[in-house]
Amino acid sequence: MNKLIAKLKSFTLWELLIGMKLTGRYFFSKKMTIQFPEEKTPTSPRFRGLHALRRYPNGEERCIACKLCEAVCPALAITIEAQPRDDGSRRTTIYEIDLFKCIYCGFCEESCPVDSIVETTIKNYHFTKRGDNIMNKQELLAVGDKFEQRIAQEKADDAKFR
Amino acid sequence: MVATREGQQMANANKARLSDSAKAEIDAWLTKYPQEQRRSAVIPALHIAQDENKGWLTTQLMDDVADHLQIPRVSVYEVSTFYSMYDLEKVGTHKVCVCTNLSCMLSDSDAVVARLKEKLKIDFNETTADGKFTLREVECLGACVNAPVMLLDRTYHEKLTPEKVDKILGELE
Amino acid sequence: MKIEIEIDGKKLQVEQNSMIIEAADNAGITVPRFCYHKKLSIAANCRMCLVDVEKSRKPLPACATPVTEGMVVRTRSKLALEAQKSVMEFLLVNHPLDCPICDQGGQCELQDIALGYGADASRYDQGKRSVADKNLGSLIATDMTRCIHCTRCVRFGTEIAGITEMGSIGRGESTEIGTYVEKSLSSEMSANIIDLCPVGALTNKPFRFRARAWEVLQARGVSAHDCVGSNLHIHHRRNKIMRVVPKENEAINETWISDRDRFSCEGLHSEDRVTTPMIKRHGQWEQVDWQTALHVAVEGLQTIAQTQSPSHIGALASSNATLEELYLLQKLMRGIGTNNVDHRVRQSDFHYQQATALMPTLPVAIADIEQQDLIIYIGGHPQFEQPLINHRIRKARDNGATVIMINPVDLKHNFDVSDKLIVANPLLPRALTAICRALSEQNPDAKTSAQELLQSVTADDKHQQLAKQLLAADNSLILLGAIAQHHQQGGLLHGLATLMASLGNSRVGLLTPGANATGAWFAGAIPHRGPAGLNVAKPGLDVKRMWESQLPAYLLLNLEPEHDCANSQRALKALHNADLVICVTPYKTAAMEQYADVILPMAPFTETSGTFINIEGKWQSFTAAVTAQGESRPAWKVLRVLGNLLELDGFNYVASTEITDELQALTANINSDQQINKWRYPSQLPAVNNGIERITYWPIYRSDNVVRRSVPLQNTPISDAPVIAMSQTLAEELTLKAGEDVVVSQVDTSITLPVKIDNRIAGNVVYIPAGFAETAALYESFGSVNIERK
Repeated sequence: MNKLIAKLKSFTLWELLIGMKLTGRYFFSKKMTIQFPEEKTPTSPRFRGLHALRRYPNGEERCIACKLCEAVCPALAITIEAQPRDDGSRRTTIYEIDLFKCIYCGFCEESCPVDSIVETTIKNYHFTKRGDNIMNKQELLAVGDKFEQRIAQEKADDAKFR
Repeated sequence: MVATREGQQMANANKARLSDSAKAEIDAWLTKYPQEQRRSAVIPALHIAQDENKGWLTTQLMDDVADHLQIPRVSVYEVSTFYSMYDLEKVGTHKVCVCTNLSCMLSDSDAVVARLKEKLKIDFNETTADGKFTLREVECLGACVNAPVMLLDRTYHEKLTPEKVDKILGELE
Repeated sequence: MKIEIEIDGKKLQVEQNSMIIEAADNAGITVPRFCYHKKLSIAANCRMCLVDVEKSRKPLPACATPVTEGMVVRTRSKLALEAQKSVMEFLLVNHPLDCPICDQGGQCELQDIALGYGADASRYDQGKRSVADKNLGSLIATDMTRCIHCTRCVRFGTEIAGITEMGSIGRGESTEIGTYVEKSLSSEMSANIIDLCPVGALTNKPFRFRARAWEVLQARGVSAHDCVGSNLHIHHRRNKIMRVVPKENEAINETWISDRDRFSCEGLHSEDRVTTPMIKRHGQWEQVDWQTALHVAVEGLQTIAQTQSPSHIGALASSNATLEELYLLQKLMRGIGTNNVDHRVRQSDFHYQQATALMPTLPVAIADIEQQDLIIYIGGHPQFEQPLINHRIRKARDNGATVIMINPVDLKHNFDVSDKLIVANPLLPRALTAICRALSEQNPDAKTSAQELLQSVTADDKHQQLAKQLLAADNSLILLGAIAQHHQQGGLLHGLATLMASLGNSRVGLLTPGANATGAWFAGAIPHRGPAGLNVAKPGLDVKRMWESQLPAYLLLNLEPEHDCANSQRALKALHNADLVICVTPYKTAAMEQYADVILPMAPFTETSGTFINIEGKWQSFTAAVTAQGESRPAWKVLRVLGNLLELDGFNYVASTEITDELQALTANINSDQQINKWRYPSQLPAVNNGIERITYWPIYRSDNVVRRSVPLQNTPISDAPVIAMSQTLAEELTLKAGEDVVVSQVDTSITLPVKIDNRIAGNVVYIPAGFAETAALYESFGSVNIERK
């Protein structure tokens, strides 16, 4: 009897039909994939992506070279050199983040007393040359300048959960 | 030695030096203290220097006092900035120091102060335009029994009323 | 007398008159404090050290409460903790919350104690007071708003530096620490207040904002600028020296270091550092690799040794070179076949070099100077030569010792001198002889071979009185400073001081220039003795004769002869005329580019391992804090390779410690006979020149090549300028006025210097500082000089 059923299944391609059933179910169900880059997945405002150095509304850079981010960074990705600026204030001369070393833990942002270094929600970026992975102060400030509104909005959105 | 801006202004405005008679007077005070403790004479010495210079001290005078007493200059600055009896900026001919501490306040020193301000047309720590009076608010002068009190130069005026203030100031003018 | 007390349940035996805080510190029990410092007087004004003492109704300050028998102290009881917390709250009322931009952040006593004893949050929501910053000069940065008025800096000025420049101005809430009038601090130890300040009010100005306490690495070092050998902690980061702080050593520098030791590191990275070997080809400087440079040097030396004679080569070293470098240098020279090696570049008189002991040392330990009853200091300015020896002398004075100065210039000291004898410089030997005569008259038992010399002078009342004081003292010490050692009769002065000591039951000590003069004598970097005082058959040329002989080849180690030598013009002439000048140096100078043929870049003291023997004879070894800059190499390695290339034996060292060990083994060979001074005194004093004499002094911040390049030090008020100083009397005689430019000439050169009137200078003597490019063109540092109106 069992033999007969097995024969019947093989002649009617029964297994194939079961497989086609699964295919058919997914064919008509709601799709999980998106069409990147035309479509994008939603991102939490707390997402930790590319770094930026922010400025105050008057254009003054926030960073005061306290070096807490450098100290807290578990991957030793941050390098800072500081000296007095001409007006006597404490400023960095070098601020570099090696994005290959960075593990995007967000400790730098947590440690910053002036909300200067932040991790933005930008997650799509690439490097074409070796060495580009090291973001210097100008590049970090440029990211901050370009996305300031977005960063501020995200920080405000996230603030109530902190 | 470079002086601060205020210090320089003071020094430029007043080039007074400690006179020989003042030095002699300080020497008289020095005899009252042990020889190795010349520093003890700094308070009377500063008073002598201040009286000689129309009631206020310049950095130059303080330096002169320090050099005469052979003590570090900063030790003299410490004393002169500590006590309110020493003035480091130009003051009026007469210093009016009125007490506003508890006993005087309860005996209506406010009225006395109001009358003083009105008559002299100045606020506390100011000097009249003619350079005659400087008004000061001070803490307890130790004469609470006869409150309210004010110290005019070196004279105590007690149990004050606004009328009495008029009279006292009137006598001076 | 010991008594028993109990702190936190621990029974302790403590000194009777000590304070609770001292007993707690000794027992390792932490009591928080700001104003208390073990080296300063007790102020008890911060109230942070309040502790709970049984039978006392209130908490008591541990720093100002003497211990009593059976006292029971609790530092962590509820009352004590509450008191400490409240004090902390008060201290923070006006302290700004600017730790992120404060250089003290991470090494701050206030931060630490606030964390340990303070509350979590502040209850104070009013505005905080702010205080204007003071300008204290080029070494110390101020942020006076952070000041908590502990007055450590004020007490340091009065008690340690001996010059009261800071005070607390005003009172109550308006109290400020400052100088009142703007003023740069003029103490040579002023920067110790940076370490003393428990908060970030006083910080290191050149170091400002450059690094954090947690990112620097700490290496041990020894100061390379004076013969004290202060222990240092060198803080470096990414192979660069960031700052220097003291390492506590009670026997040497206590907790202090001089500003020179602290800020000399600013000169290490100066622009004229040489970082590649260089040779001069057809009058042009070329940067080459080590091999080429060494070959040029070796070939040059070999040519001169073969065509002329090895004795036509002279080697001169700085007394700041390490023991190993000096040992290899003399080994190299003696290997080539000459004894022409010397380090005494500032000395003018070498007549009595055979008479002196094995090496110059102090007869007492540095720490014991303060126990002396009487100290006679001859010729010099201890404050600006060895600031920390001066500190010990000052402490001796505070302990009631008599301190007598015998000087050609009535210098200002930071303590009250008990007695002084100011004589014109050429008369210094006469004055000492007169004191010796007075001593021999007052102490007829003492025998001396110098009777004839003593009879040639007369002793006046002053000499008799000084002799009497010396004889009356049980524990006395005679010290010779830089002027006495560099004097044109320097050898005789040393001999006379020794005579004074033997007649007056005293002891003599030399305070040598540089960090390692004692080591140089021991290593044999002297022409007349080998390592550990080994006799040499035929003494080589001393510095003076090396210059005068105009040798065809010179090897210079860590030296800038135009700035470092007694007879700088003679040195320059000899170097210009030489066929071969090899400079092993960390820096190049304009003059060096003229006379040198090969420049081999060497590592300064922070970049090499080595040993210094300090003036009390203590060997202090150190390792490199950072690796040598660029292509420069530790000089011992350079000399080792030179030795190998010259095919000399015994240059196969792998580590500098092997050289140290070899030298250590030599100490066993020291003949006790060599420790004794063997003086033969002349029967007459040399004739005195009646003209105008020059005396030369190396100002504190021109003392060696590293210090000269430290810009912050050059900008301090105690850094001298090149001038010609003379007394009013002499100026009037020459009809000169202050500030006027005069032409100063010696033999065939002349320079122009401004006149400075200084009435402290005795006799027909002018003072011209050395170590400046402006004064390098002069001849004898102690000798006659001509002055003309411009």
